[in-house]
Amino acid sequence: MKKLLSVLLTLAMVLTMTAGAFAASLEGTYQITIWVAEEVKDLTAKQIEDFNATNEYGITIVANIEAVSEADAATSMITDVEAGADIFCFAQDQFARLVQAGALSSLGKQAAEIVRTSNDAGVVAAATSGDTLYAYPLTSDNGYFLYYDKSVIPDEDVDSLEAIIADCEKAQKYFAFEMGTSAWYNASFFFATGCVSEWKTDDDGTFISVHDTFNSPAGLIAVKGMKKLVDSPFHLSSSDGASFASNAAAVVTGIWAYTTIEGILGDNMGVTDLPSFEVDGVSYHLGSYNGCKLMGVKPQTDPIKGAAIHRLAQYLTGEKCQMERFEARAWGPSNLAAQASPAVQANPGLVALYTQNAYSVPQGQIHGSWWDIAKVISDDVKNATDDAGLQQALDNYYDKISSLFNLDTSALLFVGAWNGWNNADESDTYYFKDGSLTLDVPASDYMGGRIVNPGSWDTDKGFAQVTVGADLIKDLGADNPDNNIVFIEAGNYTVTIDGDAISIVKN
Amino acid sequence: MIQSQKSETPSMKRHMGMKASSRISNTVSYVVLVLISVIWLIPFVCILLQSFRCESTHQVGYIIPQKWGLDNYRNLFNTNFPRWYTNTLITALFVAVFQTIIVLCMSYTLSRFRFKMRKPLMQFMLILGMFPGMLSMIILYQVLKDLGMTQSNAVPGLILVYIASSGMGYYVSKGFFDTISKSLDEAARIDGATRFQVLLKIILPLSKPIVIYTILTAFMGPWGDFVFARYISFNVSAGMNAAVGLYGWLSQDQISKNYTMFCAGGVLVAVPVTILFMCLQRYYVEGVTGGAVKG
Repeated sequence: MKKLLSVLLTLAMVLTMTAGAFAASLEGTYQITIWVAEEVKDLTAKQIEDFNATNEYGITIVANIEAVSEADAATSMITDVEAGADIFCFAQDQFARLVQAGALSSLGKQAAEIVRTSNDAGVVAAATSGDTLYAYPLTSDNGYFLYYDKSVIPDEDVDSLEAIIADCEKAQKYFAFEMGTSAWYNASFFFATGCVSEWKTDDDGTFISVHDTFNSPAGLIAVKGMKKLVDSPFHLSSSDGASFASNAAAVVTGIWAYTTIEGILGDNMGVTDLPSFEVDGVSYHLGSYNGCKLMGVKPQTDPIKGAAIHRLAQYLTGEKCQMERFEARAWGPSNLAAQASPAVQANPGLVALYTQNAYSVPQGQIHGSWWDIAKVISDDVKNATDDAGLQQALDNYYDKISSLFNLDTSALLFVGAWNGWNNADESDTYYFKDGSLTLDVPASDYMGGRIVNPGSWDTDKGFAQVTVGADLIKDLGADNPDNNIVFIEAGNYTVTIDGDAISIVKN
Repeated sequence: MIQSQKSETPSMKRHMGMKASSRISNTVSYVVLVLISVIWLIPFVCILLQSFRCESTHQVGYIIPQKWGLDNYRNLFNTNFPRWYTNTLITALFVAVFQTIIVLCMSYTLSRFRFKMRKPLMQFMLILGMFPGMLSMIILYQVLKDLGMTQSNAVPGLILVYIASSGMGYYVSKGFFDTISKSLDEAARIDGATRFQVLLKIILPLSKPIVIYTILTAFMGPWGDFVFARYISFNVSAGMNAAVGLYGWLSQDQISKNYTMFCAGGVLVAVPVTILFMCLQRYYVEGVTGGAVKG
């Protein structure tokens, strides 16, 4: 009885201690540094005051706010994490680097749940590495659409790329669409025809696989469309809104150029989603990337301070603060409730962006080298004289992408040949790294593929090595000299290579 | 060229006359020179004109402003620009004073004194000077960070770094001191002057051009520095110099709002340097060439 009592008492004591510690834990004053874009510096100061006045934890934040552009923040953080800001904002393409450098602390379970449910799916994917959320979505407006001069391009022409080019040539004015200098823009043509370039990272932010279909018949259609644009003498490779002041009649750029362009064109400014192009009688609506800005919290040595800063970051990226940023600076919110608000729905630039979003691809994690590899496609396309030249441009691209993972000798390829080897989807290629990969097998007559060594293209492992999940694949016997793995059913599979053994699990 | 002159008939030569031919060659060289200076001056003129443009703040496709005014200059004072400017000025002035003292003392010592290891020391510094300074940047940053001289305290940190390496820039002034006759020193020493008095009262008055050249180069280094200043200030506005601060206005989200103000800032940065050079140009040229002549 005495023993039980003492156990109970101890338990009670521990409980009160933890409860007390928890309630009092976040209360206090915290000195922190915040990096935000210059244009929201004052607004952020005001929002922090609001947070200090209203938060329920008794947190008082004394913030030193510095203007650091989202483009520079990541590089600075990686240079010296210790001297970097406690809260900083960055464009999503910097995300993987920051996770690898250990410059981001992951969100708590509760905060992660709130972020997941209240923001659009694209931005949540952008802030996730593996299964872990590492940042708070700040905006969801990092995409592009078409600005045009109504006095040059009539409204009925804006849906057709060919018509816009013709109007520009007629008026001797430029059509600015950044091509040779930015993969972010020129990928637009590939997304139009349904090509994808999807990269996967693990929990540490390391790239483990890619699924890329730019080098395919669909990709060839895309570059044919691209050729129409880059061959025009009035095509200008630029995304600068100020191009309107130097003889441009149409510019493809983002919401950040809105005020500049409005200032130049005034009532003649038109905004709309991107046009379509036509190849062999079929029309393809140009796609786009839709990206976002994120707010990250630096890992802290003091966990209580870390928790307090996370509370602030959560507040700063909540619906109220996002709406304030929209009202002050027209930053497109990522918060679903804010996106649905009448004020946001009434902004022409954001409406054009959201219309374009229907054709857009969320910008997930992308290998840093991809941007340089993909941007040269348009130069190759411009130099090409026939279809073979266009195909060569795609081949060059594909070789470079492959070599990113080929460098790693542990990498293996799973080349899928869904529906027969001459099928359009033959280029469905998945890269293994660290021996594991998840793949979607669509229903078709032949749902097989082979695992090869990237350099030699020899079959390395296949049907004969499958030890687990042999019941999921077909035994073709003598009809399988290439050691192919042929699935019985369509579905999502995880294929793992461990030493010489292959295991297949249906998900 | 010679051949074509030879082929000219004597009558033709008389026809043109010396005056005419020199006029032609003058015209040609002037046209070429004007062309070169136009090409060279265009960026400066553009920046100057853009800084007076008031109708818009973003980049435009024309050079001559439609509406002139001083708005951009006025707006500069509502930003952190005065702070950046002061930082730059303080750094440059401190460096100009201390670096000049160090360099002149160093040159005097190496020129007049004979001591053990003098030659090896000079060779060592020559070799040391061949390593690019950028190599040491990361180490220096860490050291300064540990000393608490980065970010908002970047100014003392920068002064320290610039001054610390200044002893190695003695070549030009040592060369100049070598040209001053030693018998002057000896005469002064016989009259009872100390070594320091010799430097102060005999050598320095005779080396005005080199002193001014040393001050100018010492001032110009930190005045125009960007790479190191950017690293040390590490995104903290209070510790930036003018170049680093202004560069921030060229980022994608700010350029359309701050472009003309950036130009105005650039003009203000150029003003003191231009004035300094205009006043001291005579000495500067003498200083640069002076060290090279051994008399």
